[in-house]
Amino acid sequence: MADLFSIGRSGLGVSKKSLETTSHNISNVNTEGYSRQRSLQQANAPHLKDGVISGTGATVKTIKRVHDQFVENRLQTSTSENGFYNERAVQLNEIQQIFNEVDGEGLNQLITKFFNSFRELANNPEDESIRSLVRDNAIMVTRDFQRARESLDSHARNIDRKLETFVEEINSYLDQVANLNQKIRSLEVSGNETGDLRDDRDRILKRLSDYVKIHHYEDNRGNFNVNVDGVGTIVSGIKTIKLRVGRVGKEKSLNNMEGSLMLYFDGRPSNAITHKFKGGRIESLIKTRNEDIQKLQNNLDHIAFELSRAVNDLHSRGFAGREVPIREDGSYPTQDDRGPLTGINFFENIKEVDGAAHALQISEDIQNDLTNIATGLAPNKPGDNRVAIAISKLQHQKLLHENTTTFEEEYLKSIADIGLKAGKADIDQEQSQALMTQMETIRERISGVSIDEEASNLIRYQKAFDASARVMRTAGELFDTVLGIMP
Amino acid sequence: MSRVSENSNTAALNYNLSKNKSRMEDLQLKGSTLKRVRKPSDDPMANIEAMTITSRNNDNSQYLKNASLAELHLNATEDSLVQITEILMKAKDLAIQQSSDFYDDKIRKNVANEVFQLRNHALSIANKRIGNKYIFGGFSTLTKPFDQSGAYRGDNGHITIEISKDFFVPINLTGEEVFFYEDTLSSRTPDPLDEFPVFQKSRNKLLRDEPIEDIQKNQEFIQSGRDLAAVDAQHQAQGYKQKSNIFALLSMLTSALENNSPKVIQNLLVKMDDSISRLITMRTKIGSITRSVENSKNSVEMDTINNKARKSELVDADIADLFADITKNNDSLQAAYKIGNATINKTLLDFIK
Repeated sequence: MADLFSIGRSGLGVSKKSLETTSHNISNVNTEGYSRQRSLQQANAPHLKDGVISGTGATVKTIKRVHDQFVENRLQTSTSENGFYNERAVQLNEIQQIFNEVDGEGLNQLITKFFNSFRELANNPEDESIRSLVRDNAIMVTRDFQRARESLDSHARNIDRKLETFVEEINSYLDQVANLNQKIRSLEVSGNETGDLRDDRDRILKRLSDYVKIHHYEDNRGNFNVNVDGVGTIVSGIKTIKLRVGRVGKEKSLNNMEGSLMLYFDGRPSNAITHKFKGGRIESLIKTRNEDIQKLQNNLDHIAFELSRAVNDLHSRGFAGREVPIREDGSYPTQDDRGPLTGINFFENIKEVDGAAHALQISEDIQNDLTNIATGLAPNKPGDNRVAIAISKLQHQKLLHENTTTFEEEYLKSIADIGLKAGKADIDQEQSQALMTQMETIRERISGVSIDEEASNLIRYQKAFDASARVMRTAGELFDTVLGIMP
Repeated sequence: MSRVSENSNTAALNYNLSKNKSRMEDLQLKGSTLKRVRKPSDDPMANIEAMTITSRNNDNSQYLKNASLAELHLNATEDSLVQITEILMKAKDLAIQQSSDFYDDKIRKNVANEVFQLRNHALSIANKRIGNKYIFGGFSTLTKPFDQSGAYRGDNGHITIEISKDFFVPINLTGEEVFFYEDTLSSRTPDPLDEFPVFQKSRNKLLRDEPIEDIQKNQEFIQSGRDLAAVDAQHQAQGYKQKSNIFALLSMLTSALENNSPKVIQNLLVKMDDSISRLITMRTKIGSITRSVENSKNSVEMDTINNKARKSELVDADIADLFADITKNNDSLQAAYKIGNATINKTLLDFIK
């Protein structure tokens, strides 16, 4: 009869434990990354009594989380992918706005206006007010080159700042993972349940995946390791290898900018790993900065450089729009007190292509005196408009890339390029988002809590608990009966 | 049968709702701007084509302005040619009258006076201005092309204007062409880009971009610049030039009349005929240029209209399509809401009381 009591008690314990698990599940129904838990019951070891094997009740062997490591890994991979495309779509959409001329005036229209003001000047080369129109339009062009280039630069610098905060976050995740590794290990050594801690770790790994693509494994000594694809191990058991950022000068940088950000492993400052990242937001940012932005920067510089060179080349052949004193022998001075009379640069002379969009500005001579704008090829010919016409015709002249593209074509090519890339990033982002949602759904299907299930379990375990209690009451009654027959 | 948990259920609903709503937002933006393309990525190729069209239309409006200016100058030139022709005809009539011995010297003196007035009139036409620009001075638009003696102070520059892409027309005749009768008339339309090697390169692709050649060209150019600079000096030195122009002709007629010598007058008749036929040739030339300006103006205007139509096709939203899309999308959004309402947060617990 003592057996009956203990069997009944084991039933009560098992049911209570299972009810606990069920309530834990219900409480965590909305916890991110929570895996439902199941209590695994099993029959106690039977024992032989009077030649008959009798059962001894039930016990909860373990509480297990329902979890599919393979699905979890795929979820992490798709998170990395989504992180990559998400960041890319955000960045490229911002960048393309710099070149958005769908409504309103942009660089392209300003350049057209600039050339047309030379046409207007060719119509009225004698007119001073049109010279100032030419100068104003030229200034607008140079400002817009600077605006576009400056926007690109500051975008690249923003990416650097973003990388810096991302690296901080990654490092804090590394600490958390290592910390959990230690807790999980010490609990498991003493045979305790670690489902919730493992959920925590998966959650952190998922967040980490948003930034970098990782894979992880448990080695044969039970150490949990995390590797960043293309870069190397960042967590090994309870040890972490942190990331660091550093700034380098222009020559060493990957995007040809002063103070550009580089990534290193902590303690290994000579070995940059900036270009090695594969997947996630980090790679996305680096790629945008080093490839897309730099390409646009170079392109702007190239156009600005060629524009200033071509305009100067033609303009310096002309003569200033004022009296040039011709000497007896037909020679003339190249300078008077208002400036040079010929060989005048329209734009400030730019020495190198690199940074030309920043450097583009009208020359001091033009700034100081409008008569320094040359319209004619011959001196003292106020009606001569040949230089003005020639400059206006640069608009349609294929001067760039070995005389194959015009300024406009070259500029539009890079806008088309960034537009296509941004459009593709949008599509990629949508797809990777769908994929990630799908993986999340699959994960939730396996590991998520279903209230229906838990409600039915609640009833089931409650009934079992009631029944076990009845068993104990029955055992009690048996005792009473036995005691009752005693005199 | 796959297991459904609370979160898988809501995640799917959330995803569908947000997808639906972002599509709705896009349609709403399209509707409120009535633009199909609002940023390059909406349609990269249409965007750059639209930008090209915008530049072309900007160019076109400049070309139209240029064409009006060309017309103004050409019409003024033509009017002057007509007036000069009339003057010469009148002088020729007088000369024919006076080439016989029918009239005596008194009458000839009066006629001489009349011819002198004709010469002054011709001179005032030769110094005609549009705004502050002399139209017969070549490139020297701010100096009076003919002084009182009839000497030419201008040069032989032809001012050209671009009236549609790559189509240049000369808008002036130089004083030399109009008022001198012994010059050979060039029928070639001057190309303003001839002097610039950078444009030659692409026209003649075989010529490679060799720096030596450039330097040579540059030197030649400097030389020619000097030549031009010296034109004024030459003109003064070569005084004969002023002898062979219309004013000299009229002066000669005046003095012949004053000197009462019909022989000389007869000789002058030939030269007058030459001048008149020359002026008529030039009027034809100007007339044909004016017509080509008009034609090009029409085609530029047509081009602008076509461009606008094309651009609208490229970037504007099709309203009918847009409303159909909005309605359709709205329906599916409503459906998603209703289904969400029906399925979310319905559990077994609602039914066991």
